[in-house]
Amino acid sequence: MYSVNYHRASSVDEAAKMLSGASEAKLLSGGQTLIATMKQRLAQPSDLVDLRHISEIKGVDVRGNIVNIGAATTHAEVAGNAALKAACPAICHLASHIGDPAVRHMGTIGGSIANNDPAADYPSAMLALGATIHTNKRSIAADDFFTGLFETALNDGEIIKGVSFDVPEKAAYAKFPNPASRYAMTGVFVAKGAGGVRVAVTGAGSNGVFRWTDAENALSGNFSASALDGVSADADGLMSDIHASSDYRANLVKVMAKRAVAAA
Amino acid sequence: MDLSGEYRIPASRERVWEFLNDPDILKQCIPGCEAIAKDGDDKFSATVVLRIGPMKVRFTGNVSLTDKVYPESYRISGEGSGGIAGHAKGGANVRLTQDGSETILNYSVDTHIGGKIAQLGSRLISSTSKKLADQFFGKFTEVASQSVSA
Repeated sequence: MYSVNYHRASSVDEAAKMLSGASEAKLLSGGQTLIATMKQRLAQPSDLVDLRHISEIKGVDVRGNIVNIGAATTHAEVAGNAALKAACPAICHLASHIGDPAVRHMGTIGGSIANNDPAADYPSAMLALGATIHTNKRSIAADDFFTGLFETALNDGEIIKGVSFDVPEKAAYAKFPNPASRYAMTGVFVAKGAGGVRVAVTGAGSNGVFRWTDAENALSGNFSASALDGVSADADGLMSDIHASSDYRANLVKVMAKRAVAAA
Repeated sequence: MDLSGEYRIPASRERVWEFLNDPDILKQCIPGCEAIAKDGDDKFSATVVLRIGPMKVRFTGNVSLTDKVYPESYRISGEGSGGIAGHAKGGANVRLTQDGSETILNYSVDTHIGGKIAQLGSRLISSTSKKLADQFFGKFTEVASQSVSA
């Protein structure tokens, strides 16, 4: 790893100042991707601004029908939060299957969605739950937030403070993990709420997380796994690598969607 | 890893050919290109910053134009080293077909990436290559269309 200046921010405002004051600073929010990349010398930021110790953006708050999760909340905290488990067990289940225990105790929801890895779990939940991503500048709907492979609507210097979503009527997440990394080779988050049925797929699309509208249409009339029998995912635009071809992934999309609906 | 695609450019084939051979236009279109200098006929040296998610690697290398058949087709290929990160090699066969006052550009791209960046990024190479090819030819189409209407 190249040498780097480490800064621990105690507030979001302070983090924003630290970020703009350095020549090539990166935000650190768990570092489960960034630190590994830096160790391999594939990234060389001049400064790191650590967000994980900012208390104002940590923790889960379930108030009435609305869930708020602070950006610096770890996956383990999301997985183990009792109030959240009562309101939306699907997201706790999702968080409990990210990586391994070490990853879950360091990695954060804000870090995961800002990185927008095409195989990360959280982006699918945000998209299916119709979540809103709150930054230090504005609020962005999940539909507008994830713009492509590792790309988000975030501008330079913009910091995610947290996410919020309405408690869904039904929701579930099913993933086929890569046995080594636990990244989703395909993961499908299904949610039924006031806005209808939303189905979001991660790990499969070449351009990152996406909504599977054919499945949404099929499920909006009949929310059962059999409603997906006649629907198939298009292999065009899906990832192909040594672990799975795009055809295989297309099949996984359908299988995981059916499992998610059955579990919801 | 192989990719192909097609773009339609509202300019004559001769104009498109000129653009494809202009280092300034290439610099604007090669994603992450910081500098490009002409080393000789159809040879350029270039510095390109490749970003894949958290990775940011600066490659220095050469770009050359070969198999030129005016104004129909050529091959643009590049080879670069990113130091400890690994190396990248790739090229695109480009074919131009006149269609009325417009030109249809067909390309097929092949890429080879080796070293650490390939080991760590293997699951991302095909998606990233597609994205970079789309960026290059998308931007090229945009630049070529603009300079015609200007």
